[in-house]
Amino acid sequence: MSIFTVNYLCRELLRDHAFRAAMKSDPTRALAHKDLTTSEREALLTGDVGALFRMGANAFLMAYMARFEVCGLNVEIYNQRMRAEKVDDQGRPLARLSRVF
Amino acid sequence: MAQIVAGFGVPHTPVFPFFVKRDGPDCEIAKLFAAQAAELATASPDVIVMFDTDHLNTFFLDNLPIFAIGVDETFTGPNDEPREVPTYTIPSAPDLAGHIRQAAIAAGFDVALTQQFSVDHSIAVPLHFLTPRMHVPVIPVFISGHVPPLPSAQRCHALGQTVGRAIASWPSALRIAVMGSGSFSLEVGGPRMAPGRSDGVPDPNWVTRVISYLEQAQIDMLIAQATEKQLFKAGNVGGELLNWIAMLGAIGNRKPSYVAPQMQNGHAYGVWRW
Repeated sequence: MSIFTVNYLCRELLRDHAFRAAMKSDPTRALAHKDLTTSEREALLTGDVGALFRMGANAFLMAYMARFEVCGLNVEIYNQRMRAEKVDDQGRPLARLSRVF
Repeated sequence: MAQIVAGFGVPHTPVFPFFVKRDGPDCEIAKLFAAQAAELATASPDVIVMFDTDHLNTFFLDNLPIFAIGVDETFTGPNDEPREVPTYTIPSAPDLAGHIRQAAIAAGFDVALTQQFSVDHSIAVPLHFLTPRMHVPVIPVFISGHVPPLPSAQRCHALGQTVGRAIASWPSALRIAVMGSGSFSLEVGGPRMAPGRSDGVPDPNWVTRVISYLEQAQIDMLIAQATEKQLFKAGNVGGELLNWIAMLGAIGNRKPSYVAPQMQNGHAYGVWRW
Protein backbone atom coordinates (compact mmCIF):
# COMPACT_ATOMS: atom_id res chain seq x y z
CA MET A 1 0.00 0.00 0.00
CA SER A 2 2.36 2.66 -1.24
CA ILE A 3 -0.05 5.59 -0.82
CA PHE A 4 1.28 5.37 2.73
CA THR A 5 4.68 6.23 1.27
CA VAL A 6 3.20 9.26 -0.50
CA ASN A 7 1.72 10.50 2.77
CA TYR A 8 4.91 9.73 4.64
CA LEU A 9 7.09 11.56 2.11
CA CYS A 10 4.82 14.60 2.31
CA ARG A 11 5.44 14.75 6.04
CA GLU A 12 9.16 14.15 5.50
CA LEU A 13 9.17 17.42 3.56
CA LEU A 14 8.38 19.04 6.89
CA ARG A 15 10.61 16.94 9.11
CA ASP A 16 13.68 16.09 7.06
CA HIS A 17 15.32 19.26 5.82
CA ALA A 18 17.82 17.35 3.68
CA PHE A 19 14.96 15.55 1.92
CA ARG A 20 13.18 18.90 1.50
CA ALA A 21 16.27 20.36 -0.16
CA ALA A 22 16.67 17.27 -2.36
CA MET A 23 13.03 17.50 -3.47
CA LYS A 24 13.52 21.14 -4.39
CA SER A 25 16.72 20.57 -6.37
CA ASP A 26 16.30 17.13 -7.98
CA PRO A 27 12.99 15.44 -7.13
CA THR A 28 13.46 12.60 -9.62
CA ARG A 29 16.62 11.59 -7.82
CA ALA A 30 15.14 12.22 -4.37
CA LEU A 31 12.31 9.78 -5.13
CA ALA A 32 14.39 7.27 -7.11
CA HIS A 33 14.56 4.61 -4.43
CA LYS A 34 11.24 5.24 -2.71
CA ASP A 35 8.58 2.54 -2.65
CA LEU A 36 6.11 4.12 -5.05
CA THR A 37 3.99 2.89 -7.94
CA THR A 38 4.67 4.35 -11.37
CA SER A 39 1.50 6.44 -11.22
CA GLU A 40 2.28 7.74 -7.74
CA ARG A 41 5.81 8.68 -8.75
CA GLU A 42 4.60 10.41 -11.89
CA ALA A 43 1.89 12.30 -10.00
CA LEU A 44 4.36 13.44 -7.35
CA LEU A 45 6.94 14.60 -9.88
CA THR A 46 4.39 16.54 -11.93
CA GLY A 47 2.72 18.02 -8.85
CA ASP A 48 -0.53 16.32 -9.86
CA VAL A 49 -2.05 16.60 -6.41
CA GLY A 50 -5.56 15.97 -7.75
CA ALA A 51 -4.50 12.51 -8.95
CA LEU A 52 -2.77 11.82 -5.64
CA PHE A 53 -5.92 12.90 -3.78
CA ARG A 54 -7.98 10.44 -5.84
CA MET A 55 -5.44 7.73 -4.96
CA GLY A 56 -6.05 8.37 -1.27
CA ALA A 57 -3.32 10.84 -0.32
CA ASN A 58 -4.11 13.06 2.65
CA ALA A 59 -4.83 16.64 1.57
CA PHE A 60 -3.48 18.16 4.76
CA LEU A 61 -0.16 16.37 4.23
CA MET A 62 0.01 17.14 0.52
CA ALA A 63 -0.27 20.84 1.37
CA TYR A 64 3.35 20.60 2.54
CA MET A 65 4.28 20.22 -1.13
CA ALA A 66 2.80 23.67 -1.75
CA ARG A 67 4.21 25.18 1.44
CA PHE A 68 7.74 24.09 0.59
CA GLU A 69 7.24 24.64 -3.14
CA VAL A 70 8.38 21.32 -4.57
CA CYS A 71 7.51 19.61 -7.87
CA GLY A 72 6.35 22.83 -9.50
CA LEU A 73 3.83 23.66 -6.79
CA ASN A 74 3.14 26.75 -4.77
CA VAL A 75 0.07 27.78 -2.77
CA GLU A 76 -1.65 29.25 -5.83
CA ILE A 77 -1.04 26.33 -8.19
CA TYR A 78 -1.86 23.82 -5.47
CA ASN A 79 -5.08 25.69 -4.72
CA GLN A 80 -6.13 25.66 -8.38
CA ARG A 81 -5.38 21.98 -8.88
CA MET A 82 -7.13 20.84 -5.71
CA ARG A 83 -10.14 23.07 -6.22
CA ALA A 84 -10.60 21.48 -9.66
CA GLU A 85 -11.31 18.14 -7.97
CA LYS A 86 -14.94 17.05 -7.69
CA VAL A 87 -15.90 15.95 -4.20
CA ASP A 88 -18.97 14.64 -2.39
CA ASP A 89 -20.69 16.45 0.47
CA GLN A 90 -18.02 15.25 2.89
CA GLY A 91 -15.10 16.41 0.80
CA ARG A 92 -14.14 12.98 -0.53
CA PRO A 93 -13.11 12.62 -4.18
CA LEU A 94 -15.98 11.46 -6.38
CA ALA A 95 -13.53 9.50 -8.52
CA ARG A 96 -12.05 7.81 -5.51
CA LEU A 97 -9.44 5.16 -6.22
CA SER A 98 -8.76 4.17 -2.62
CA ARG A 99 -11.20 3.00 0.03
CA VAL A 100 -8.70 3.06 2.84
CA PHE A 101 -9.60 6.50 4.17
CA MET B 1 -9.30 17.30 45.92
CA ALA B 2 -8.50 18.81 42.57
CA GLN B 3 -11.23 20.92 41.01
CA ILE B 4 -11.99 22.21 37.54
CA VAL B 5 -12.14 26.01 37.70
CA ALA B 6 -12.61 27.04 34.08
CA GLY B 7 -13.17 25.83 30.54
CA PHE B 8 -11.76 27.29 27.34
CA GLY B 9 -12.30 26.70 23.64
CA VAL B 10 -9.37 27.93 21.58
CA PRO B 11 -8.41 28.28 17.92
CA HIS B 12 -4.96 27.18 16.81
CA THR B 13 -4.45 28.65 13.33
CA PRO B 14 -0.71 28.21 12.72
CA VAL B 15 -0.22 31.57 11.00
CA PHE B 16 -1.80 33.60 13.84
CA PRO B 17 1.48 34.23 15.73
CA PHE B 18 2.93 35.68 12.52
CA PHE B 19 -0.14 37.90 12.02
CA VAL B 20 0.03 39.18 15.59
CA LYS B 21 3.73 39.92 15.30
CA ARG B 22 3.08 41.76 12.03
CA ASP B 23 -0.12 43.61 13.05
CA GLY B 24 0.53 44.31 16.73
CA PRO B 25 -1.45 44.01 19.96
CA ASP B 26 -4.50 45.92 18.66
CA CYS B 27 -5.38 43.44 15.92
CA GLU B 28 -8.46 41.26 16.39
CA ILE B 29 -6.54 38.02 16.92
CA ALA B 30 -4.30 39.58 19.59
CA LYS B 31 -7.27 41.08 21.42
CA LEU B 32 -9.31 37.87 21.38
CA PHE B 33 -6.41 35.82 22.75
CA ALA B 34 -5.56 38.57 25.28
CA ALA B 35 -9.12 38.44 26.63
CA GLN B 36 -8.81 34.68 27.09
CA ALA B 37 -5.38 35.05 28.66
CA ALA B 38 -6.81 37.51 31.20
CA GLU B 39 -9.62 35.07 32.05
CA LEU B 40 -7.10 32.27 32.40
CA ALA B 41 -4.87 34.34 34.67
CA THR B 42 -7.86 35.15 36.90
CA ALA B 43 -8.84 31.48 37.05
CA SER B 44 -5.26 30.85 38.14
CA PRO B 45 -4.98 27.17 37.24
CA ASP B 46 -2.22 24.92 38.56
CA VAL B 47 -2.60 22.62 35.56
CA ILE B 48 -4.22 22.84 32.11
CA VAL B 49 -5.79 19.71 30.61
CA MET B 50 -6.02 20.22 26.86
CA PHE B 51 -8.13 18.15 24.47
CA ASP B 52 -6.43 18.35 21.11
CA THR B 53 -6.29 16.81 17.66
CA ASP B 54 -2.76 16.13 16.48
CA HIS B 55 -2.16 16.92 12.79
CA LEU B 56 -0.20 13.73 12.08
CA ASN B 57 2.87 15.13 13.84
CA THR B 58 2.84 13.55 17.30
CA PHE B 59 1.32 10.43 15.75
CA PHE B 60 1.15 9.30 12.13
CA LEU B 61 -0.74 6.92 9.87
CA ASP B 62 1.55 4.07 10.93
CA ASN B 63 0.17 4.24 14.45
CA LEU B 64 -2.88 6.39 15.02
CA PRO B 65 -4.66 6.20 18.36
CA ILE B 66 -8.28 7.34 18.60
CA PHE B 67 -7.56 8.59 22.14
CA ALA B 68 -4.15 9.13 23.76
CA ILE B 69 -2.67 11.02 26.67
CA GLY B 70 0.79 12.43 27.14
CA VAL B 71 2.38 11.34 30.40
CA ASP B 72 5.75 12.95 30.99
CA GLU B 73 7.54 15.66 32.96
CA THR B 74 7.79 17.91 29.90
CA PHE B 75 7.16 17.89 26.19
CA THR B 76 8.25 20.16 23.34
CA GLY B 77 6.53 22.00 20.54
CA PRO B 78 5.64 23.09 18.02
CA ASN B 79 7.19 20.41 15.83
CA ASP B 80 5.75 21.69 12.54
CA GLU B 81 7.43 25.09 12.11
CA PRO B 82 4.62 27.66 12.36
CA ARG B 83 6.11 31.11 11.72
CA GLU B 84 7.18 33.26 14.68
CA VAL B 85 6.72 30.53 17.28
CA PRO B 86 9.82 29.42 19.19
CA THR B 87 10.26 25.79 20.15
CA TYR B 88 8.96 25.66 23.70
CA THR B 89 9.61 23.14 26.41
CA ILE B 90 6.25 22.82 28.11
CA PRO B 91 6.00 21.47 31.66
CA SER B 92 3.45 18.74 32.34
CA ALA B 93 2.07 16.86 35.34
CA PRO B 94 2.81 13.17 34.82
CA ASP B 95 1.31 11.97 38.11
CA LEU B 96 -2.05 13.52 37.36
CA ALA B 97 -1.81 12.51 33.69
CA GLY B 98 -1.16 8.90 34.68
CA HIS B 99 -4.08 9.04 37.11
CA ILE B 100 -6.41 10.36 34.38
CA ARG B 101 -5.29 7.62 32.01
CA GLN B 102 -5.80 4.93 34.65
CA ALA B 103 -9.26 6.28 35.47
CA ALA B 104 -10.18 6.47 31.78
CA ILE B 105 -9.13 2.89 31.14
CA ALA B 106 -11.03 1.72 34.24
CA ALA B 107 -14.09 3.47 32.79
CA GLY B 108 -13.75 1.64 29.47
CA PHE B 109 -11.77 4.17 27.42
CA ASP B 110 -8.69 2.44 26.00
CA VAL B 111 -6.52 5.54 26.00
CA ALA B 112 -3.08 5.12 24.45
CA LEU B 113 0.06 6.37 26.19
CA THR B 114 2.70 8.64 24.74
CA GLN B 115 5.97 9.67 26.42
CA GLN B 116 8.99 11.63 25.19
CA PHE B 117 6.71 13.31 22.70
CA SER B 118 6.42 16.61 20.89
CA VAL B 119 3.26 18.42 19.85
CA ASP B 120 2.35 20.58 16.89
CA HIS B 121 0.80 24.03 16.46
CA SER B 122 -2.58 22.82 17.71
CA ILE B 123 -1.24 22.92 21.28
CA ALA B 124 1.72 25.29 20.95
CA VAL B 125 -0.08 28.17 19.21
CA PRO B 126 -2.83 28.64 21.84
CA LEU B 127 -0.24 28.34 24.64
CA HIS B 128 1.99 30.85 22.81
CA PHE B 129 -0.81 33.39 23.38
CA LEU B 130 -2.32 32.18 26.67
CA THR B 131 0.70 31.11 28.76
CA PRO B 132 3.73 32.43 26.86
CA ARG B 133 5.97 31.94 29.89
CA MET B 134 4.99 28.26 29.83
CA HIS B 135 4.72 28.34 33.62
CA VAL B 136 1.50 26.29 33.83
CA PRO B 137 1.87 22.52 33.36
CA VAL B 138 -0.19 21.13 30.48
CA ILE B 139 -1.59 17.61 30.08
CA PRO B 140 -2.50 16.87 26.45
CA VAL B 141 -5.36 14.47 25.74
CA PHE B 142 -5.41 13.61 22.06
CA ILE B 143 -8.62 12.89 20.13
CA SER B 144 -8.37 11.65 16.54
CA GLY B 145 -10.43 14.29 14.75
CA HIS B 146 -9.06 14.33 11.21
CA VAL B 147 -8.71 10.80 9.83
CA PRO B 148 -11.92 8.80 9.48
CA PRO B 149 -13.43 6.92 11.16
CA LEU B 150 -13.77 9.47 13.96
CA PRO B 151 -14.85 8.66 17.50
CA SER B 152 -18.46 9.72 18.05
CA ALA B 153 -19.34 13.04 19.66
CA GLN B 154 -21.15 11.09 22.39
CA ARG B 155 -18.03 9.06 23.08
CA CYS B 156 -15.83 12.17 23.23
CA HIS B 157 -18.26 13.87 25.58
CA ALA B 158 -18.25 10.79 27.81
CA LEU B 159 -14.44 10.76 27.74
CA GLY B 160 -14.55 14.36 28.91
CA GLN B 161 -16.91 13.42 31.73
CA THR B 162 -14.54 10.63 32.74
CA VAL B 163 -11.58 13.02 32.73
CA GLY B 164 -13.63 15.43 34.86
CA ARG B 165 -14.38 12.70 37.40
CA ALA B 166 -10.73 11.63 37.42
CA ILE B 167 -9.68 15.20 38.20
CA ALA B 168 -12.26 15.40 40.99
CA SER B 169 -10.87 12.21 42.54
CA TRP B 170 -7.24 13.45 42.53
CA PRO B 171 -6.23 13.98 46.17
CA SER B 172 -4.15 17.18 45.74
CA ALA B 173 -6.00 20.50 45.93
CA LEU B 174 -5.13 21.57 42.40
CA ARG B 175 -7.00 24.10 40.28
CA ILE B 176 -7.51 22.76 36.75
CA ALA B 177 -8.45 24.58 33.56
CA VAL B 178 -9.76 22.41 30.73
CA MET B 179 -9.31 23.44 27.09
CA GLY B 180 -10.57 22.20 23.75
CA SER B 181 -8.51 23.17 20.70
CA GLY B 182 -9.74 23.57 17.14
CA SER B 183 -12.14 24.77 14.48
CA PHE B 184 -15.81 24.10 13.75
CA SER B 185 -15.63 24.37 9.97
CA LEU B 186 -12.33 24.30 8.15
CA GLU B 187 -10.80 22.65 5.10
CA VAL B 188 -7.00 22.67 5.02
CA GLY B 189 -5.29 21.79 1.75
CA GLY B 190 -8.38 20.06 0.34
CA PRO B 191 -10.64 20.83 -2.64
CA ARG B 192 -12.96 23.04 -0.58
CA MET B 193 -10.28 25.69 0.05
CA ALA B 194 -11.28 29.25 -0.82
CA PRO B 195 -9.76 30.58 -4.08
CA GLY B 196 -6.10 31.50 -3.68
CA ARG B 197 -5.90 30.40 -0.05
CA SER B 198 -4.58 27.32 1.71
CA ASP B 199 -7.82 26.87 3.67
CA GLY B 200 -11.52 27.55 3.52
CA VAL B 201 -14.72 27.42 5.58
CA PRO B 202 -17.06 24.99 3.78
CA ASP B 203 -20.01 25.23 6.18
CA PRO B 204 -20.41 28.66 7.84
CA ASN B 205 -24.01 27.79 8.78
CA TRP B 206 -22.66 24.97 10.93
CA VAL B 207 -20.38 27.43 12.73
CA THR B 208 -23.41 29.58 13.55
CA ARG B 209 -25.36 26.56 14.79
CA VAL B 210 -22.47 25.28 16.92
CA ILE B 211 -22.05 28.68 18.56
CA SER B 212 -25.80 28.86 19.25
CA TYR B 213 -25.74 25.41 20.89
CA LEU B 214 -22.73 26.44 22.97
CA GLU B 215 -24.32 29.72 24.06
CA GLN B 216 -27.56 28.01 25.06
CA ALA B 217 -25.75 25.10 26.75
CA GLN B 218 -27.61 22.72 24.40
CA ILE B 219 -24.94 20.08 24.62
CA ASP B 220 -27.33 17.22 23.81
CA MET B 221 -28.36 18.98 20.60
CA LEU B 222 -24.74 19.66 19.74
CA ILE B 223 -23.81 16.01 20.28
CA ALA B 224 -26.80 14.78 18.26
CA GLN B 225 -25.97 17.07 15.35
CA ALA B 226 -22.19 16.51 15.38
CA THR B 227 -22.26 13.29 13.38
CA GLU B 228 -19.19 12.22 11.46
CA LYS B 229 -21.03 13.15 8.26
CA GLN B 230 -21.68 16.69 9.55
CA LEU B 231 -18.13 17.11 10.87
CA PHE B 232 -16.60 16.22 7.48
CA LYS B 233 -19.26 18.27 5.68
CA ALA B 234 -17.78 21.17 7.69
CA GLY B 235 -14.27 20.44 6.38
CA ASN B 236 -11.44 17.95 6.52
CA VAL B 237 -10.51 19.20 10.02
CA GLY B 238 -14.13 19.75 11.11
CA GLY B 239 -13.68 16.92 13.61
CA GLU B 240 -11.71 19.28 15.83
CA LEU B 241 -15.07 20.26 17.33
CA LEU B 242 -14.79 16.96 19.23
CA ASN B 243 -12.16 18.62 21.44
CA TRP B 244 -14.63 21.30 22.50
CA ILE B 245 -17.28 18.62 23.14
CA ALA B 246 -14.86 16.67 25.35
CA MET B 247 -14.00 19.88 27.22
CA LEU B 248 -17.72 20.44 27.85
CA GLY B 249 -17.99 16.88 29.15
CA ALA B 250 -15.24 17.63 31.65
CA ILE B 251 -16.56 20.97 32.92
CA GLY B 252 -20.26 19.99 32.92
CA ASN B 253 -23.19 21.46 31.05
CA ARG B 254 -22.80 25.19 31.65
CA LYS B 255 -23.51 28.36 29.75
CA PRO B 256 -20.34 30.07 28.60
CA SER B 257 -19.16 33.46 29.83
CA TYR B 258 -18.79 34.22 26.12
CA VAL B 259 -18.13 32.63 22.74
CA ALA B 260 -16.51 35.08 20.31
CA PRO B 261 -16.61 33.87 16.70
CA GLN B 262 -14.21 34.55 13.86
CA MET B 263 -16.50 33.51 11.05
CA GLN B 264 -13.87 33.97 8.35
CA ASN B 265 -11.83 31.25 10.08
CA GLY B 266 -14.74 28.97 11.00
CA HIS B 267 -13.80 29.02 14.67
CA ALA B 268 -14.36 30.82 17.98
CA TYR B 269 -12.82 31.77 21.30
CA GLY B 270 -14.86 30.42 24.22
CA VAL B 271 -14.61 31.00 27.95
CA TRP B 272 -16.51 29.18 30.67
CA ARG B 273 -16.10 30.65 34.18
CA TRP B 274 -18.30 30.15 37.21
